[in-house]
Amino acid sequence: MAQDEKDPVATWPARENLKVLNHDLVRVDARAKVTGAARYTHDVRVPGMAYARLLLAPLPALKIKKLDLAPALKIPGVLGAVALETDRTRWLGEPIAAVAATTPERAEDGLRAILLEYEREPWAIDEAQATAPNAPKVRSNAPKVSTDGDQASAERACEGAAAVIEATYTVPVQHHVCLETHGVVVDYKGGDEATVWCSTQSTFGFTPDAAKELGLKASRVTGLVEYMGGGFGAKFGLGLEGQAACKLSKEIKRPVHLMMTRRDEFLAAGNRTGGKMRIKLAASQDGTLVGMVADRRRFGGIGNGSMAKFPYIYAVENAYSETLSVPMNLDSNRAMRAPGHPQAGFGMESALDELAYKLGVDPLEMRKRNLKDKVYHRQLERVAREIGWYEHPHRDKPGDPKAEKCIGIGFGVAVWGGGGGGGTECEVRIERDGSVSAAVGTQDLGTGSRTYVAAITAEELGLRLEDVTAHIGSTRLPSATGSGGSTTTGSLAPAVKVAAFNAARAFAARLAPVFGVDAARVQFAGGEVRDTQGAKPALSWKQACAMLPAEGLSARGEWTKDANKRLAASGIHGAQAARVEVDTQTGRVRVLDMIAMQDCGLPLNRLAVVSQVNGGMVQALSYALHEERNVDAALGVMLNSTMEGYKIAGSLEMPRMVTIIDDEDERGVIGVAEATCIPGHSAIANAVFNACGARVRDLPLTPDKVLFALGKVV
Amino acid sequence: MRTLSLKVNGDTVQAAAPSHWTLLEVLRYKLGLTGSKQGCDKGDCGACTVLVDGRPVLACLTLAGAVEEREVTTIEGLMPLHVKSGGDGPDPVQAAFDRCGALQCGFCQPGMMLSARALLNKNPCPTRAEIREALSGNLCRCTGYTQIFEAVELAVAESIGVAPAPRSWEAQRMDPSEAQAAAKRAAAHLAERRKQEGRE
Repeated sequence: MAQDEKDPVATWPARENLKVLNHDLVRVDARAKVTGAARYTHDVRVPGMAYARLLLAPLPALKIKKLDLAPALKIPGVLGAVALETDRTRWLGEPIAAVAATTPERAEDGLRAILLEYEREPWAIDEAQATAPNAPKVRSNAPKVSTDGDQASAERACEGAAAVIEATYTVPVQHHVCLETHGVVVDYKGGDEATVWCSTQSTFGFTPDAAKELGLKASRVTGLVEYMGGGFGAKFGLGLEGQAACKLSKEIKRPVHLMMTRRDEFLAAGNRTGGKMRIKLAASQDGTLVGMVADRRRFGGIGNGSMAKFPYIYAVENAYSETLSVPMNLDSNRAMRAPGHPQAGFGMESALDELAYKLGVDPLEMRKRNLKDKVYHRQLERVAREIGWYEHPHRDKPGDPKAEKCIGIGFGVAVWGGGGGGGTECEVRIERDGSVSAAVGTQDLGTGSRTYVAAITAEELGLRLEDVTAHIGSTRLPSATGSGGSTTTGSLAPAVKVAAFNAARAFAARLAPVFGVDAARVQFAGGEVRDTQGAKPALSWKQACAMLPAEGLSARGEWTKDANKRLAASGIHGAQAARVEVDTQTGRVRVLDMIAMQDCGLPLNRLAVVSQVNGGMVQALSYALHEERNVDAALGVMLNSTMEGYKIAGSLEMPRMVTIIDDEDERGVIGVAEATCIPGHSAIANAVFNACGARVRDLPLTPDKVLFALGKVV
Repeated sequence: MRTLSLKVNGDTVQAAAPSHWTLLEVLRYKLGLTGSKQGCDKGDCGACTVLVDGRPVLACLTLAGAVEEREVTTIEGLMPLHVKSGGDGPDPVQAAFDRCGALQCGFCQPGMMLSARALLNKNPCPTRAEIREALSGNLCRCTGYTQIFEAVELAVAESIGVAPAPRSWEAQRMDPSEAQAAAKRAAAHLAERRKQEGRE
């Protein structure tokens, strides 16, 4: 007997046999969300709760001379105040103190009453300040240049090439702009236990730190993430705001609600690294990339920043790059959806595109020539077909810039890992009344994890999605890893699948004697329990469950390397195309169409995958045309710390969007979120060039930059 | 501090609040109606959108005292009011958002759906352009809006009693000519209805 027959293991059924997965599923929590019943951290209300606000450093670098909280305590309604930094602050918006009061407004009154005396210290908050000869030392550990590849051979390859371009590309600092700001609610009243709600991407990530701040055992603190309003990489750990809330709660022995204001969020809740890439890229006459030399700067505030390695995705025979972080007295970068990739992608895709037009090679063909992985070829061809590239009148040269409205098409590609890892466990319970639950402490950022926890379980037990309840978002449930780097699906889905599989096997073993067949012949399908050989009449699921004892049946499963091999995979590809209209009179760019083709292994919920890809495309569109943090370096302030000044794309900017799931990918599950926001802005910038010959090398592509670039070609 | 008398979701409620408090503050911090979201506090994001006498209003920019004696509808009231007026279950807008996957994190959705409801109250057969316009004050960071537009269109199609145009995720699995024909049929139905309504 083969090993797998003796000891069956969990595997996905053939796709055509899937009844729940790989379908368009309505989210199990959609009803809670559309009725307003879903409770986000911001919405948590606990009796006796105080509301807190943060006092942020008003300038980028300060020496604190005096911090007196006493005046705040005299404000009516103020319940307590804590100092968070009493010596020096090193970045604009660094929290200095926090105040708790009976209402948020009273807490703000308290902040205004705090006596803060300081001396300004020299700061650097833009590139000019940070790289000036007398630039202040932003942090003690000065970054070093890192290099990749052999410089001499890369330079030589460029020298002898048929065509070379040399240009500098810049990307702005982008903000996450989660609709729900960062924050926590600490329900602690001075006893030896507490409950903490957090708007976070990691249920288990913040709870031990909250316990530490409260001086409690981690086992006495329950962390909850019932619903959370977006993260995109910015929401890991307790954060300075969470520490402040715990300190306040510990001090006043009352529950504390601390949600950052929108301004706090822009100043002190993370961002995507800005940067600059000076690129020399060379190709042979047929468009093969032969040499690349790049000098890159990362602007990650007080942090190091991130930028994916060069050459990015495309193969280059001889490549060399130098990368240096340029620290500034600004909030540190944090992970943001595909950290480092949209930046590197913009440099690489733009340079390649420039070179294609210089050589007179079709930019789509140039991409394929330099992409070794054939998956990209089929994806690029498909998006090209969908967007009308093959009928487009000017493919290897830009359109006429003298026309009032110019139409252009551009492309970009993406790569991401998206595989899972250990640390996730799930428990599936079957109750005597026939109801089923799957429990795992993971969080749902809006990606739909709650839904596929239920869906995987339903699929395994032959039930409908609505027959299974998913319990997530609590440290009282089995462990789960945080949601970062599109790893949730690869970590969570195998654990749930194995748990459901184990539950099914345990249930089959219980039913076998009743059925009078071997457990291996007991099958759960279509809401029934059947004999695979059809010798016994089927039982309804409910009838079968009625035979369970009062305590029902439960089984656990966890992520293992072995399960991962059978159920999950990693390494995804994506190609996107954008069609734009450039108004040459005003410089305005309107994106007409965006087409994405994306692989993701087995799609657990097709509707959710489409939504992820659409959302990723829009974030890239927004990065391409609108988003940018503006600072006044001399004054030391951020100029657009509001959603009015910092524009994100809205309904009026939406193009026609088509997401094509690459069903030729037959692997197991893979997380999809990150890859989707990598190519869009590059495709848009390249489409603008294709439309009218205006090459804008500095995101966002605002009308002034487009007009300036047009001025060079008209 | 004054005692406000508000009509919220069909109920007359009293709340003691400072006179300068906004409707959003009263809803969230006095009445426990946290379905209206607090995203920016200055009218930029639209997450706090509620209906006042059926029209969309940014609760964070509206003084609570200014809407006394007027009908305030929050997301919590949408389904009960639909049921009270003879409907079954959720408001068609809610049902359509649910079925079209028009949400991810869901934080912007209460405001988004109330803007959509306000649009349909005054224009039961809007075009895509009119839907975009009506939702332009509601920001969403997750979904890419497309499925939101499609949800509103589904609610419209169902109210007219016709099949909607194939949604973006359905169209790619259909035969292109069939998808085009279905979209054309849906557009014709909408145009006919708009004509009847005197909108074309």
